[in-house]
Order: sequence, then C-alpha cells, then structure tokens
Amino acid sequence: MNVLEIRNLTKKFGDFIAVDNINLSVAEGEIFGFLGANGAGKSTTINMIASLLRATRGEIELLGRNIAKHNKFAKMNIGIVPQDLAIYEDMTAYENVSFFAGLYGLRGSLLHERTEEALQFVGLGDKHRSFPRNFSGGMKRRLNIACAIAHRPKLIIMDEPTVGIDPQSRNYILNSVRKLNDMGCTIIYTSHYMEEVEEICTRIAIVDHGKIIADGTKEQLKSTITDTKDIWIGVKSAESLKVDSLRNVQGVTAVRMDEQILKINSKTEVNNLNDIIQKLIRDRVEIRSVEEQEPSLETVFLTLTGRNLRD
Amino acid sequence: MQIWHIAWREIKVNLRDMRTFVLMLAFPIVLMLILGMALTNAFTSGLSLGDMNLLYRDTADNPQLEASWDQFTAAIAKEGVTLTPAPVDTDGKAEVSADHYTAYAEISNNGIAFFGGVMHTLESNVLQGMLATFADRYNLAAAAMIDSPEKAEAILTDTYAGGDFVAETALGSEKKPGSIDYYAMAMTTMVAFYSCMSGSFLIRGERLRNTAIRLSAAPVSKGTIFAGKVIGCTAINFLCVAAVFLFSKFVFKADWGDHYAAVLLVLLTEVLLAVSIGLGCSYLFMEDGGRLVVLIFTQIASFLGGAYFPVDDATNFMKIARDISPMRWANQALTQIIYGHDWLAAMPAIGLNTAVAAAFLAITAILMRRREAL
Repeated sequence: MNVLEIRNLTKKFGDFIAVDNINLSVAEGEIFGFLGANGAGKSTTINMIASLLRATRGEIELLGRNIAKHNKFAKMNIGIVPQDLAIYEDMTAYENVSFFAGLYGLRGSLLHERTEEALQFVGLGDKHRSFPRNFSGGMKRRLNIACAIAHRPKLIIMDEPTVGIDPQSRNYILNSVRKLNDMGCTIIYTSHYMEEVEEICTRIAIVDHGKIIADGTKEQLKSTITDTKDIWIGVKSAESLKVDSLRNVQGVTAVRMDEQILKINSKTEVNNLNDIIQKLIRDRVEIRSVEEQEPSLETVFLTLTGRNLRD
Repeated sequence: MQIWHIAWREIKVNLRDMRTFVLMLAFPIVLMLILGMALTNAFTSGLSLGDMNLLYRDTADNPQLEASWDQFTAAIAKEGVTLTPAPVDTDGKAEVSADHYTAYAEISNNGIAFFGGVMHTLESNVLQGMLATFADRYNLAAAAMIDSPEKAEAILTDTYAGGDFVAETALGSEKKPGSIDYYAMAMTTMVAFYSCMSGSFLIRGERLRNTAIRLSAAPVSKGTIFAGKVIGCTAINFLCVAAVFLFSKFVFKADWGDHYAAVLLVLLTEVLLAVSIGLGCSYLFMEDGGRLVVLIFTQIASFLGGAYFPVDDATNFMKIARDISPMRWANQALTQIIYGHDWLAAMPAIGLNTAVAAAFLAITAILMRRREAL
C-alpha cells in the first residue's frame, strides 16, 4: 500500500516553476530519500505534502485520501521535522513536546504519556525540565524530532535533521530514524550528507530543476551509471596539489577533495590511472592508497545533475 | 479548546519573561514614582498663606465697639493673625510699605480704615475680608440693638465663636488629580498601549523561531491560531496593566475613583486595541518594518497622549495629532470616570477602542488568509 501518492504536482511562484509536474509514490514502511541541490525543489515539494504550501496543479494523496479535501486527516497523520530548529527556547523540553502534541488534540494523561514517550525516544528523558537554550546542537535537533513524533504520525518528513551536529548525535538520530521505521512509520528523508542517505534510505529520488530525474533503490540508481568509475586516492598532504591540472587528464570528468581522499570521476573506457599518478608525483603529492571503485551515489548525483549535492 | 491551548502558552511564556517584567511592570512603576515626585508642584492648584501681621490703632471711644473689637481680635488671633497695636508716634501706612506688617487698620467711631500692603496681596486681602466681615456683623448688630438687644448679642457671639470670617468659594469645584494620581493613570494607559509591541511580535516571532512551520502543519486552522494568540497576548498584557493599577492604588495611594469596573474595562479595550494595531502592523509592513512602525507610533502616541506630562494646550496639527492618540481617549475617559464620577464616560473610549481593534483584526485576518503559511 502506498502511504503517499503524488500526481502531476506543480508549484509556481509567479513565472518561476519550483516544482514541475512531479509524479511520485512512497510505499508503507519505506525510508524514502529525497535528494537535490539547493533550489532543486525538494523543500517546496515537502512543504506541499505537509500542507504548508498549496499546489498550483496536481494532487497529493495521503493514505488514499486527497490532502486538499481531507486536510485535517492529512495533518493528523504527518509529522514534520523542519530543517531549521522549530522549538521554543523559553519553554522546557517537556513543554515544547507537550504543546505541539496538544495541537493534535492530545489531552490529559494521554498527552503526558506520549510526551514522555517522545522524549525518552530521542534520549532526552532526563531533560524534562531543562530549557533548550542550555542544550547542545545535537540535543536541540533531537528535541526537534520529539516535537514531530509525539502524536504518532504515519508519515514523518525529516528535512535535513542532522545539519550541524556532532557525529555522536548524528548516529543517535540515524538510529532513531531506523527505530521509527521499525515501529511502522514511513519516512521521507532529505540530507546533504550522501553517506547518510546511502546508509538508511531504502529508496531514493533525485530532484533537479523541479523535476524528478531518477528514482529507485541505491543499487538501481548506481546501475544507471555505466560509463563512469570512481578513483579514490588517499594522500598525506594535498597542499601542493594542482586540482585543475588533474581535470586536464584524459577521461577525468570531476575532481574533489574529501578530507584526505582525492575523489576522481573518470570515464570507464579510458585507462588513465598511470597518468593521474604521474601527475600527482610531479606535484610532489605523497600517495598513501589507490582504489578504483564502482560509482558511488555521489557520482550518480553528479553525473545526473552536473553539480555536487552541497552546491 | 485549541484556542485556549495556544492562549495559555502565550500567557505562561510571557509570565516567565524578564523583559515583560521590566517593560510592563518595573518601568511604569519607577517612572510613576519619579515623575510623580518630581512634578508635584505642576499639579498643585492651591496657594499657601503666609504670616498675617496686622498693625492697628484703636481710637474709638464707643464701649460697645471696643468690646466687639476685643472679641474680634481674640478670635482672629486664634486663626493665626498677629495683632500689634500701633504706638502713638508710628505711621502705620509707612510701616506696611516698609513690609514690617501685612496691613494697617484704624478703628474710630466713624468706622474702620484699612491699608493693605502690596508685598503680600493674598494675606492682605484675607485680612481685609476679615475686617469687612467684622464691620458688616457689627453694623448688623448695631441695627438689631435698637429693637432687640438679645438678638444683637446672639449675632456677635455667633460671629466670634465660629471664626469664619472668610467664605471659601471655588470656580471649579470638581476634584483634580495630584501628580501621583495623574502619573498612575498616565503610566497605566501607557503600559496598556505598550501591548502594541508584543502584538507586533505575535506571529512574526513564530516566523523568526520557525515554529510557524509546526503551527501551520498542525491540524488547527489559521483562525484558531489567530484567536488563541490574540486572546493570550491580550490577557497577559492586561494582567500587567492590572498589576500596575493595583500597585499604584495600594502602594502609591493613587486615586482611581469609585468605578473600578469602568476603569478596568477602558484599560482592557485599550490593551486589545494595542495588540490589534501591533499585529496589524506586522502584516502591513514586511520584515522589521512593522516593529519599527510600532516602536515609533507607540512613542509618539505616548508623548501626545500625555504619558510624560499633560498636553492640554496644543493647537493646530498638534491638537489633531493629540486627539487621535488612543492614549488620549483613554486618559480623558478615565479622568471623567475618576474625577467626574461619570462611569458612562467610559463608553466612547470603549466603543472607539473596540471598533478600531476590530478593524485592525479584520485587516490582519484577511492578509493572513491570503498568505500560504502564517
């Protein structure tokens, strides 16, 4: 059964088409990754699903009901974790969750029970009376999630829930996403961290210029790229590296540094590994490791959209 | 039910907010005290009477007049008049001109001749009034003596026993506010009008905190959010106003008259009006424009409304500007209620406040509906 069904969805702001005739379905129990660079149209789509924006054309069905006609039903079954923290700094963690859950009609002991449950779930069970202004970035992110789940929605939309937090909190959140999914929630997940999406999403859609340009499991997406390979070269120091000179090597389509790893996309049919290594030696770059890999999701994204996810 | 849920959040959060305490409670109370103490004289309509020294010379040989005069001098001495008989070789008029005495009186068989000094006209006039009263009563008694001596005795006895030689007559008999009374009223209406600022932050604050997204995504209508927030904001601000009212009444002993319900109703509608103006401005002027407009408007309205000192003699443009200040409406209504004992004077202010508030709320509701989110 599909939890979400989107048909011919379009959103215009004046003459600008932010979302262009999107068709999409999300099945029950999926963790659906929604990938797109800034301005690609993913936030606009998410906002329309959450009833924050009205569609110019097309329709959205949640659990088989049109959200424009059954708006209250749709809202009751959706939980949203906005990209920017949406919590009250002047209310305790408990009051925050309780207030937002109360908007969904929860009252009395049920409200208390669900509030406790949500705080326990995100690991803030011992921070009831604490104010978010005293929280770390990771704790605030977790509270942001707790506020979205206390009313037990069927569909949870998470818009970059791990932005700007430490690795420990990120792991906690990713585990929470998996746990929520195990508990029966369907999740739409957006992130600028490709590895997160690759790690937890069961299906992924890539959005560019308001259109869905690819949709499938990560294996399906990777299999669409047959003419590109990834070359990862571990380097000790890249200070003397001239990245532009590497781009001139025959077959190389993209070069980027990710910490101590030089990530190169190259055409499969060109055997250019020797040329690349010679270039690095000439630039006095100390090489530690060389790996030739299947194309990553990041390469898929770059190949399809022509830009990095973080652009 | 959701309306109260949203309203209660507003009240609770504001009750904890130190800024609410400082701006809405501490600030007006301190200002009330400072201005009330500093400008005491500006609100005093009475004059204090100085020493009254009467130099007199009694040359009359009429025993009845002399007896009456003695009774009269004894009576006015009790009222604080110092009487000094003039030595034979003293020029009474010159003594008064030299400011050694307030006035000089010469009592003879032909009557009383009075000479008042120009240095202390008020005291001199009072003495003149006393002597005139004495002369009138003596003449009356003298006339009565012819037909009915016992009545003449009664007239003189009553006159000297009461000591009421000067009658008090006032042109404006209504009571007027002292400085503390005035500033208690002005500061309370000013604080009520300061609700403009929290009104302007009501929805804008949700947008800045991103919580507007959660509110919009929740299964509550925009109307519910709107109503809940307006009710909550009005309630908490009115609580602050009521606290200032009670503090001024019981600690500063400010005069709030007898019609408390009418006074509080004027203040409540003024808070509602201010919240509506603030909220409306936050929709009419984008970004920080609304906050700036409200800030400037609040200060001008407070100044023209008489928050810092009474603005009674404005003319032309200033008069128009003053008269459209909502604080002016409130202050005028409260003055009438408190000092004119006219609780019906509350009605125009209540009506005006409610009508303007309704207009601003309607504009806001329309603009809110047009927007996709809050």
